[in-house]
Amino acid sequence: MSETNTLRDSARHGDGGKVFDAGPEGTYPPTEEMLDAPVDPEVKARREAELRKAWETPKGWRYWSAVNNTEVGVWYSLTAFFFMLCAGVLALLMRIQLAVPDNDFLSADRFNQFFTMHGSAMMFLFAVPMFEAVSILILPAFLGARDMPFPRLSAYGYWSFLIGGIFVLGSILFNVAPSSGWFMYPPLATEQEGIGPDIWLLGLSFIEVASIAAAVELIVGTIKCRPPGMRINLMPLYAWYVLVVGVMILFAFPPLIAGDFLFELQRSMDWPFFDPDRGGDPLLWQHLFWIFGHPEVYIVFLPSIAIAAMIVPTAAQRPMVGYSWIVLSAVGVGFLSFGLWVHHMFTTGLPSLSLGFFSAASEAVVIPTGVQIFAFVATLMVGRVTMSQPMLWIAGALAIFTAGGLTGVMVAIAPFDWQVHDTYFVVAHLHYTLFGGMVFPIIGGIYYFYPFITKKKMSDRLSKWAFWLTFSGFNICFLPMHLTGLQGMPRRVFTYPESAGWDVLNMVSTLGSFILAAGILVFAWDLLRPKSKQPLTERNPWNAGTLEWSHDVPEEAWGVRSVPYIASRYPLWEQPKFLERFDDGKFYIADAPEGRRETIVTSAVDAVPQAVVQVTGPAWVTLWAAAFTGGAFILPVFKFYWLSAFSGACAVACVIYWLWTSTAQVPKDPMRDAGLGLRLPVYVTGPKAPGWWAVFITMLGDATAFASLVFGVFFFWTARPDFPPEGAALPDMMWALSAMLAYVVAWGATVAARELNRGGRQGVARWCIVGAVLATCAALGGMWLAIVMPGLQPETHAFPAVMYALTVWTSAHCVLAIVMLLYCLAGSVLGKLTQLYDADLRNTTLFWHFMCLSGVITTLLVGVAPRLM
Amino acid sequence: MTEETPFRHESIWHMIAAPTVWTLHFAIIYAITAVECSKIGTPDLARLSILGLTVLALALICWIAWRAWVQWDYLDDQDYVHDKPTVEARREFLGHAGFLLSIASAIGVIFVAMPALFIETCL
Repeated sequence: MSETNTLRDSARHGDGGKVFDAGPEGTYPPTEEMLDAPVDPEVKARREAELRKAWETPKGWRYWSAVNNTEVGVWYSLTAFFFMLCAGVLALLMRIQLAVPDNDFLSADRFNQFFTMHGSAMMFLFAVPMFEAVSILILPAFLGARDMPFPRLSAYGYWSFLIGGIFVLGSILFNVAPSSGWFMYPPLATEQEGIGPDIWLLGLSFIEVASIAAAVELIVGTIKCRPPGMRINLMPLYAWYVLVVGVMILFAFPPLIAGDFLFELQRSMDWPFFDPDRGGDPLLWQHLFWIFGHPEVYIVFLPSIAIAAMIVPTAAQRPMVGYSWIVLSAVGVGFLSFGLWVHHMFTTGLPSLSLGFFSAASEAVVIPTGVQIFAFVATLMVGRVTMSQPMLWIAGALAIFTAGGLTGVMVAIAPFDWQVHDTYFVVAHLHYTLFGGMVFPIIGGIYYFYPFITKKKMSDRLSKWAFWLTFSGFNICFLPMHLTGLQGMPRRVFTYPESAGWDVLNMVSTLGSFILAAGILVFAWDLLRPKSKQPLTERNPWNAGTLEWSHDVPEEAWGVRSVPYIASRYPLWEQPKFLERFDDGKFYIADAPEGRRETIVTSAVDAVPQAVVQVTGPAWVTLWAAAFTGGAFILPVFKFYWLSAFSGACAVACVIYWLWTSTAQVPKDPMRDAGLGLRLPVYVTGPKAPGWWAVFITMLGDATAFASLVFGVFFFWTARPDFPPEGAALPDMMWALSAMLAYVVAWGATVAARELNRGGRQGVARWCIVGAVLATCAALGGMWLAIVMPGLQPETHAFPAVMYALTVWTSAHCVLAIVMLLYCLAGSVLGKLTQLYDADLRNTTLFWHFMCLSGVITTLLVGVAPRLM
Repeated sequence: MTEETPFRHESIWHMIAAPTVWTLHFAIIYAITAVECSKIGTPDLARLSILGLTVLALALICWIAWRAWVQWDYLDDQDYVHDKPTVEARREFLGHAGFLLSIASAIGVIFVAMPALFIETCL
């Protein structure tokens, strides 16, 4: 810690962002003397009062306008838990139906609706949202941050999730739920009567958008909101997993959104993407679905195992063995999990060579997955383990997950999979991986973090009951299913004849499922029972070493008393005098002189402080924005297209109001005293700003969705002999190329506007923005003329349909680009965007890099590629 | 402390270079096989290209692994924990993680290429 020097020097080791404006001034890192300097008790009391006021949670009915991560996180996780219980009830009803042969407890159609909703809800309404909920709740505490970087975005994501979840799950009460399986295979799902598939497609797309919003926030939080000194090699393992999973969501969810887009176009406009009679191919959907669906399994597994990675060192009372190995494991799984999707499609008749690649990759992923399990076991072996409530659940998780992993190795082998495909063997396998990889660690995590979240403890006795009921019930229910499957019982059948001989095994499974349900109920009771008479917990009940256990008991809404300087992976174990300094507010931004909510932004790798930025506070506009976005997604189910468009416009208006009034505000004083002799800017722009990273990350996801559409074009080309069909009208090349030129001009004008504005020539910069808007309009016109003039009819064949789909997709982005440019123009004219404070324009330029690329690719694919195919 | 450090010492991008090679290798051999099986019908050319691409990918990964090993600099102080708040620990950590990822990626590349050794038809 003798590496003290002035900040200018160490900033060179930052993340290489260009320094345009006033950088940090003063001393960093702090010296021991500075950290020991006493704080006047009066000053301390005044600062605490300031912070308390700035972070006060709204009272009464205004409570629901709160955006703080501790509120939103709790709502989010309780909602996800509620949806899980609902999906669990569906499972129990199905188990009753299957308990005896030839049962008529449920009709076939209702049974179909139930298994579809059970899978969809467990995946989309429980597993992924639960990760986001738990991360929103605890990640800032791991990172010693006051809040997530964009609290209103979390709130918006939550309300969207709630509206979408109620809509999708509620459909089952009206007997109109989707019923063709959670993967919605065409042609079954495209041909299904009624609104079931539309509910699935639109409702879940809406939730996926909210998931991506949460992923963006979690990635930015991990990269930019770590406390000063927490270099990347000191990051808590949980943060590593969050980073990996956030990036995986970014690359896994967009293909499904692209698939949903095509699917819904087929259902509502009859564009035949998946109809083989008109040049489509149902396999395209399977590819897009499983490119999402397999990484998804790891997206729910990794964050749960991340919780285990926090509990294991605490249980062993020593640092994790093999930190680098666990990083290898998380990152390696993140990559390899994208090479597995076809193992869900082994029976679709792909070339066996292709099957071989996916089979091999499915076996290879076992290596990084196994490494982290070994690291956990090694830590437990060399430590002195105290068997606490959470550790019991983690031990159960490791046992069950390992069993699921072993059957995974079996089904990854294509010939074995051909035998057990669509049987109960697969049901057993997937429940073993998901219970061991997700449900058990999450419950263990809730026991572990409960004192942190509510400042009370859960019951030891009830925990043991819940565990043993769940653990034994789970095995009684799912272990026999391996046999049921090997004896040939197919999945998704609503009943079976007595002669099949599956009745005993099914009865055992049904009994087990109710024991399992009893265990979950005991847990739910322990979680929710009133605890007002119970004493508060001690501050660090498990004697853990990580930052979250520096929390305040009783609760304070400010997140952390002061943002600490970190020099260790386990500061509470290894940094002497840490808590005393933390509580006295001897670290950074221990006050709120202007009564604003603030947090520290640091560089991406070495966590050198860069700025103190304002974070947004309570607002109703997020709720309105979510409600209108919900309208835009839900109304098309009932064919109210104009109303839906109106609702979408209202949502955009809400978001613009929210951005205009609370983000990138021109500060009164450009610098702020952050404490410990350090002065930091309060406005950052470009790669230093969290907002810039958010745009960058969002656009990566958006580009992935676009890439999936491009994949669709090439997929049709390889899979279909008639793509494009003989003698079909081809899009006009000249119009397409003119549109391409217009994209490049618009992009150039936007970049020029940024540079001119930075150079102090705002007048010319504004004209450049106007020019960019006009060029975008020209590009939009050119693209449409290119497909409309030669008379392409999207209903006739998949070829014109996919050309139209690309054009629709890029057009929607053009509209967004125009809105962003006009927002910057208005900002420049009204003084919100100035020479120095140009974050909005820089973010718009970043958007335009992606926009220009996708515009050029679209015009080439439409105008040139069909002539070469 | 004051001398300029190379970008790779503070770069997560270098850490994930090897799995990125795995991804590209995987995507390209999948695409080649799909195109050849649908347009020609026999995978001979595809199998040859897979061999070439695999050798290329392994060579690249070996080079990445060597650079990561040098950055980890294990033999210097035999540190494999990297839990100090220093520039050196961060550099060695990123090198160490990059090295381990190279090994996992090399195994992945070899695994994925192996079916092309045994499977001679598109059926």
